[in-house]
Amino acid sequence: MTFELIIPLLAATVQSGTPILYATLGEIITEKSGVLNLGVEGIMIVGALAGFIAAKFTGNPVLAFVLAGFAGCAAASIHGIVCLLFQGNQVVSGLALTILGTGFANYLGTSYVGQSAPGFSPYAIPYLVDIPGLGPILFNQDPLVYLTYFIPVLIWFYLFSTRHGLGVRAVGENPSAARAGGLSVSLYRWGAILGGGFFMGLGGAYLSLAYTHLWTNNMTAGRGWIAVALVIFAFWRPGRAVFGAYLFGGIMSLQLRLQAAGTQLPSSLLLMLPYLLTIIVLVFSSWKSGKSAAPAALGVNMKPTE
Amino acid sequence: MRIFKALLVVSLLLGFSGSLAAKETKVGFVYVSPIGDAGWSYAHDQGRLAVESMEGVTTSYVESVPEGPDAERVIQNMARKGFDVVFATSFGYMDPMLKVAGQFPDTVFMHCSGFKMSENMGNYFGRMYQARFLSGMVAGAMTESNIIGYAAAFPIPEVIRGINAFALGAQSVNADATVRVVWTKTWYDPATEKEAAKSLLDVGADVIAQHQDSPGPQEAAQEKGVYSIGYNSDMSAFAPKAHLTAPVWNWGPYYASVVKSVQDGTWKAEAAWPGMETGIVDLAPFADMVPAEIQKMVEAKKAEIIAGKTDVFVGPIKNQDGKVMIADGVAADDKTLLGMTWFVEGVIGTTE
Amino acid sequence: MLHLRIIKRQDPLGWRSCLVIFGAVALALFFSAMLLALRGTPPQEGIIVLFKGAFGSRWAIEDCLIKAIPIFLCSLGVAIAFRLQIWNIGAEGQFCLGALGATWIALSFPDQPAWLLLPAMIAMATVAGGLWGLIPAVLRQKMQTNEIIVSLMMNYIAILILDYLVYGIWKDPTSFGFPMTPEFSEAAIVGKIGSTSVNWGLAHCVILALIVWIFFGYTKTGYELKASGDNVKAARYAGLPYNKQVFLVMVLSGALAGWAGFIEASATVNRLQPSIMVGYGYTAIVVAWLASLNPFYIGIASFLLAGLRVGVENLQLDLQVPAAFGGIMEGFILLTVLAGGFFISYRFSFAQKK
Repeated sequence: MTFELIIPLLAATVQSGTPILYATLGEIITEKSGVLNLGVEGIMIVGALAGFIAAKFTGNPVLAFVLAGFAGCAAASIHGIVCLLFQGNQVVSGLALTILGTGFANYLGTSYVGQSAPGFSPYAIPYLVDIPGLGPILFNQDPLVYLTYFIPVLIWFYLFSTRHGLGVRAVGENPSAARAGGLSVSLYRWGAILGGGFFMGLGGAYLSLAYTHLWTNNMTAGRGWIAVALVIFAFWRPGRAVFGAYLFGGIMSLQLRLQAAGTQLPSSLLLMLPYLLTIIVLVFSSWKSGKSAAPAALGVNMKPTE
Repeated sequence: MRIFKALLVVSLLLGFSGSLAAKETKVGFVYVSPIGDAGWSYAHDQGRLAVESMEGVTTSYVESVPEGPDAERVIQNMARKGFDVVFATSFGYMDPMLKVAGQFPDTVFMHCSGFKMSENMGNYFGRMYQARFLSGMVAGAMTESNIIGYAAAFPIPEVIRGINAFALGAQSVNADATVRVVWTKTWYDPATEKEAAKSLLDVGADVIAQHQDSPGPQEAAQEKGVYSIGYNSDMSAFAPKAHLTAPVWNWGPYYASVVKSVQDGTWKAEAAWPGMETGIVDLAPFADMVPAEIQKMVEAKKAEIIAGKTDVFVGPIKNQDGKVMIADGVAADDKTLLGMTWFVEGVIGTTE
Repeated sequence: MLHLRIIKRQDPLGWRSCLVIFGAVALALFFSAMLLALRGTPPQEGIIVLFKGAFGSRWAIEDCLIKAIPIFLCSLGVAIAFRLQIWNIGAEGQFCLGALGATWIALSFPDQPAWLLLPAMIAMATVAGGLWGLIPAVLRQKMQTNEIIVSLMMNYIAILILDYLVYGIWKDPTSFGFPMTPEFSEAAIVGKIGSTSVNWGLAHCVILALIVWIFFGYTKTGYELKASGDNVKAARYAGLPYNKQVFLVMVLSGALAGWAGFIEASATVNRLQPSIMVGYGYTAIVVAWLASLNPFYIGIASFLLAGLRVGVENLQLDLQVPAAFGGIMEGFILLTVLAGGFFISYRFSFAQKK
């Protein structure tokens, strides 16, 4: 592989990592409050369809992107109702939400297949794009990618440096103590579920508004599950989520480019690379750190009468 | 008791008179993916709609049916419900359909893309490779870098045959043309398929072709400012500046003719493999970017194929290692075409 | 002002908890019927067609049983791991490895008699599935690696291994290049029960469920596993071999999923092909939780879920409802039943706020 191929590869890495990154950040917010939401895949696809339809009818991709986020909130609120209000098991609720969301999006979306809608296109940032190496990789992308250069920092700042973020973490680590300290556990968790759902919806919309400008059934194609895995991979830290999403996106892009360059390796083996590498990197990093970074109360409902 | 008997008689009479009335022909379709896949099943469903509009015919379909036990159940239920004709549109439905066909000798079964048949089960496919060859001629004439990219779904014979025909078409007008293949292992994941096309653009491809259902690769070509060849249906709406033409499916007339023959009682089990002469496969209209002389040349070739004067896979055809696979002057038989698992010379990629 | 309060039920609901579940399902059916009405399909007819397709005839019930078998075995497996609070979501991959193991034996020794071949296939399937389950367990205990992510990633890898084999060395030379192995020999196929279309895998399910039930209820190891599952710290303090327990449950879990893969390859597909993977391993997780990890309830839940999926096909065929509607309905039912579970343990009470 020559040098001219490396810059396009890295640029592709950023782009293919971006939808997963949005969703991973959403799941980090949700899980930090102690709520496990396995419905990412279902929420993402609802966001993808909502974004596409909104762009088609309003002609305004920015508005469509925001609306897709709210569609994600709406889908995630089902998880909130079942788990927070009715104390349902978080694992089942999330899986059921994936089934429901996928069914719902495909049900409504079939009539939009084969149509196109306005979306985002790459926009080179003047001056920055001229930086050798970095410029064409980072600053010749679409605006939604540029947003992801700030969002992880903001989420990190929110979670680790604000009073409110401290509340979210407290609720995720020790809900009883947080309640004793005067925090409303369910209110914080509702906020985290809806906020997380917003970003998952954005991740889906990235696929239908920026990565491509079209809609087909099942277009998230398992990216929501990758996001769930990357949250653990990232040890619930936004910075590492960026690393994880780009690692995954990078290997995916790399295996396609190896094929294009004419390698004789069977494609099934090449496709295994991203999954294998995720495991290997995770093994080494968790071996070093030695303990789980999961919020202590993750997946456990707070009893209403406690 | 008497009332009961009377009711029984009435209902029997009703049932009898119902069956005396002109019988509707019920036609069922089994699809492997949702009709919202934008490609394969969508094209078949367009064909179903053509059948639906025929007189005395009702149609129904079941979508997203996995190949295997689920397919067997669905086909069986169609037969039990009195469907007269069942079309199954994926290779993996072949064995399940054969099993069911044995149990329901009065139902007509039609399997797409396979090779097994029985008394009441026929198979059919379209010679898509003819249209692929023509689209390859366009690509070969338009490329300047002599690298044509091809985003492909799974290494199965249908896809490999299409790539080979495409490559032969390109080489027939441009001896230096090479076709680079990337497998995505997806049928309709637009983002991955677009990425596959981008990876081909990065290695210098200046025309992108595809055997994928989503128009993702078309978008990639348009963004890069190069040309593209679509598939399944006219994809020019997605990439008006890139889309040159596309080999397209048009199942409607064929499906209508099969249903008609069942209605007339003239249907017989056969292995039908119609080509461009029936219109089951065709080329989408050329874009303005294709120069008139190239259009004329391709049209001439198309006329020859339709007239049966020429064929796509006529030897000598060598594989990637330079070994002659189809001898000089020999036209490959259908069996060779159905089981094609090797690339022709000039294709860069692996069939594994 | 009236104030809504949540009160824990003092006396258990008993048989009335069935009413809660029925109420939840009825609510989900109501939602689904509304959706049907919105697209112009007569809702009552829709529900009737659905039930007829699922349970309305002998064939329908047989179809449901056939479909329930792999879901049940995978679910029984994951339930064992969940009992120890090990989050095995790798049943899909373990199922795949089981199918691979069974296929390898079936293809290697096609001429052996059934009494030798079938047990060998089962053995290989359970070993392959069990080892695939053991990997995340070892990584978890020795390297502190999260088992959810490892088992999930291994699902994708397992399916790609299957792809590699059926597109490569195992491809049937007479299949015209299509990705599938040759059909198994007669001896390598699990037969059907009497004149029904249901295979003997059903009997395997009953026996394995009994074994699991006895194991947890009546053996020392089983009892210790339950104790560790209830309270890991206490169990470690009591000197229970926690590492070994984790390995054991993951191997058992994987072995059961592998067994399911064996039955699916041998009895229903009669060969190995990529479309054997239809997501039973993920369905199993939902089923296990809904059934609160109880083998008997898992059986009921698998059957009903299989029924729903079979019935939805009937709905497609008779009323042209898209396949995606099945997903919506399944999601609705799972969510309402889950939320309904609340009323088994709690009740609302309206109190005057002072």
